[in-house]
Amino acid sequence: MKNLIIGLMAVVLSGFTGFAQTTSLQNAITKLDQSQTAKDYESLEKVFAAIASQGNDWLPYYYAAFCNARIGLLYQDDGDKIEPYSIRGEEQANKAKSLLDTTRQKNELSEVYTVMSMVYRTKVFINPMTYGRKYGMLSDQWLRQAKQFNPTNPRAMYVEAWVKYNTPKMWGGDKNLARQLATQSLKLLENATPDSQPHWGKAEDMELLSKYK
Amino acid sequence: MKLHTLPALILTLFSPSVIAQHKVPADTVIHHVLHEVIVSAGAFDASDKAKGASLTPIDAVTVAGSYADISLALRSLPGAQQIGEQSGLFVRGGTGDETKQFIDGTLLKNPNYPAVPGIQQYARINPFLFKGILFSSGGYSALYGQAMSSALILESVDLPEKSSASFSVFPTNLGAGMQHLASDNKSSYGANLNYSNQSFYHSIIPQKPDYFNGPEYLEGDANFRIKTGKKGMLKFYTNWNTSNVGMNNPDIDSSTLQSTYQVKGRNVYNNLSYRNYLTNDWKIDAGAAYSYNQDDVTNKLTDGTAHTVHIPYEPFSDKNNQRFTTSHFAQARVLFTRFLPHNQAIRFGVEHFYSEDKRIVSDSTRRLTDNLTAAFIEGDLYLTENLAARTGLRLEYSSITGKTVLAPRVSLAYRLKDGGQFNLAYGIFYQEPLNDFLYQTTHLTFSNAIHYVLNYTKKSNNRFFRVEAYYKQYNKLIKTIPEINNNGKGYAQGLELFWRDKKSIRNLDYWITYTYLDTKRDFLNYPHLLRPSFTAPHTTTVAIKKFFQNISTSFNLSYSLAAGRPYYDIHYNTTDKSTQIFDHGTTKTYSMMNLHVAYLCSFFKKWKRKDFSGIAFGVNNLLGTKQVFGYNYSFNGNNKVPVTPPATQSFFIGIFMSFGIDRTDDFLDNNL
Repeated sequence: MKNLIIGLMAVVLSGFTGFAQTTSLQNAITKLDQSQTAKDYESLEKVFAAIASQGNDWLPYYYAAFCNARIGLLYQDDGDKIEPYSIRGEEQANKAKSLLDTTRQKNELSEVYTVMSMVYRTKVFINPMTYGRKYGMLSDQWLRQAKQFNPTNPRAMYVEAWVKYNTPKMWGGDKNLARQLATQSLKLLENATPDSQPHWGKAEDMELLSKYK
Repeated sequence: MKLHTLPALILTLFSPSVIAQHKVPADTVIHHVLHEVIVSAGAFDASDKAKGASLTPIDAVTVAGSYADISLALRSLPGAQQIGEQSGLFVRGGTGDETKQFIDGTLLKNPNYPAVPGIQQYARINPFLFKGILFSSGGYSALYGQAMSSALILESVDLPEKSSASFSVFPTNLGAGMQHLASDNKSSYGANLNYSNQSFYHSIIPQKPDYFNGPEYLEGDANFRIKTGKKGMLKFYTNWNTSNVGMNNPDIDSSTLQSTYQVKGRNVYNNLSYRNYLTNDWKIDAGAAYSYNQDDVTNKLTDGTAHTVHIPYEPFSDKNNQRFTTSHFAQARVLFTRFLPHNQAIRFGVEHFYSEDKRIVSDSTRRLTDNLTAAFIEGDLYLTENLAARTGLRLEYSSITGKTVLAPRVSLAYRLKDGGQFNLAYGIFYQEPLNDFLYQTTHLTFSNAIHYVLNYTKKSNNRFFRVEAYYKQYNKLIKTIPEINNNGKGYAQGLELFWRDKKSIRNLDYWITYTYLDTKRDFLNYPHLLRPSFTAPHTTTVAIKKFFQNISTSFNLSYSLAAGRPYYDIHYNTTDKSTQIFDHGTTKTYSMMNLHVAYLCSFFKKWKRKDFSGIAFGVNNLLGTKQVFGYNYSFNGNNKVPVTPPATQSFFIGIFMSFGIDRTDDFLDNNL
């Protein structure tokens, strides 16, 4: 009887912590959707990393890596600062990937690869002269994989649009293609729901498209 | 946002070799040290791992007007003097001979083509060979020695990124090269050939000396690189070159005669280096170098019809002579590193330098053999979270002078909360007398310099600020009067500023430097302490790089301005064996602006392997300022002739092409 009670309590408790985790993850994601500054992302990264360490869910790792990628991009004019974030971001993305089932969770993998591509993009900004070629190509490669796993991933599409927009023409940049991709991505995001699954991209697409006016 | 990387191409301007960067490390070292303290007093470190506004080797060597010569390129950094009439790097009151270049640990004994009076001769080795350039203008590590003023510590590239072939065509220069990367990405080999002859160019742009030969240079190099194990690397580089420069100038002591100078040079340089991790904590760096150098110099006094004239009294009696110098040099070196927690390490090793020199001057032969052995130990210590130290000791013994010396080196780094850093360095730096003096007497000892350096650096927001103050004391310098001795001395002190900004203006990268130098020396034939003729009190340099994406064109502008340098007419008095200054003065201000433009394109867009090509042109001394580096005096002191560059301006235009077989995709596919 005693054992049963303890067992029941354990079930309830674990359910409760599980529930608490979900809510705190959801809270953090809601905050993430409104974040803009490196400081915002930095404090959220800590939250996601803390949640991640409590369980075996790929999502908090994914979001932590995403925060690090965002911070890196925001620091793109301060090459001295970026490296620690890109290193952490890469570790977290790798961890997220290891928690996924590569044969079944193709969409999730596509999301992780998209973030990995962004993390590698931030490495370029450490110093484009020395890191650009190597990490730029690796970033492209991750993005290609992201599209292979899910050809209609709107976030992979956005990242591609962003790269095409910002790359000089002679190195493969294409502003028209960037516009097409961002428009297509935006269309796919029309019905995005702000749950815990990756759903960002709308604001980013709109920001990119606003440059065409 | 700048996604582009300035393509390797711009870099290949003068260089047929395509810049190789690190391969993607299969085993990315993950470390959580966010901002470690790195001891950096006295040095500019241009590394292929440079972050933010730190220098990369490419930044350092692509300064306009550097003629693919690393010493010339580094003159855009603080501490270096703008010397136009001699090769080498003159740092903080030191002569060009007091700066030494080391490649993968071993000494590069003859970096430049043999000297021609009054005319700079360029480097034999392409500066794009290096992925790491550490330019120390003071207080360098105990791992290196025999350079009183400055050490240039160069690290050669590892495996190239891809196989490639390249060509360049300039009116004065033809070049071709190739690199082959094995399909398993574990080894590579390559070779380059360059031929330069300036006679055609000189027929269009007149030069002050009347060149009857060249200047003509032929240089070939070859290399192989093998990855041994996960982190090991074995590299071999060999360079063979010859040069021939012959010129006539009006003889300074007469109105009708000509002074003829010809130098034929031959040089072979070989460098074998190996590095590997013995365990996780132990690393070995070993190197061996062998070089052979031969200079054949002929001085003649001729009449207008190229007949040699012999006049048996002063000052003409010494004007016909031949000097043939050969030099064998070999070095072996081994360095062990033991890594300790908190980025601490202990390094120790030994090296041996063997040199065998022979000089034949008008039928009399002189020989010198020297064995110099050095042992060194150095520790990187982590004292507190914000304080690190590097301390070292270096012991040197030279057989030719029979002297042993011990050189201590200490540097400290203190990091501030805002990311700024203070560095402090102290050290003693010994150097053997030059062969010119040792041929006459070996009863000499090491000269030395004691350095004290204080510096502050701050890097943030893609900007880099550095200020450095120093004091240096020179002891036992060589004096040539009354006879050759070690009684010379001197000092140098100064303040230097460096500011680089890659952020304020989009896609514009610039740096500005200022060098203040107060120095005096009593050496060679100086009668007393004098400000040396190779030092200017104030120097400022600007380097600007801008890439215009929409027109695929890069602009590279450099400017240097230096206060006049002193010059002296020093006469020897035979009766009391002393010297006197008959005349002295200060040259006019030195001002030099150089512009290089490169347009990047593809000539064969339809080809399967699209080429990366470009057209480059440049003007050195854009403003056409007349430069005077000093004066030569006739024997009687009545004729004073300015030392000027061979031509006021110099120009180049040409094309370069590179065909690459990119294996990056194969590599990525195999490794992701």
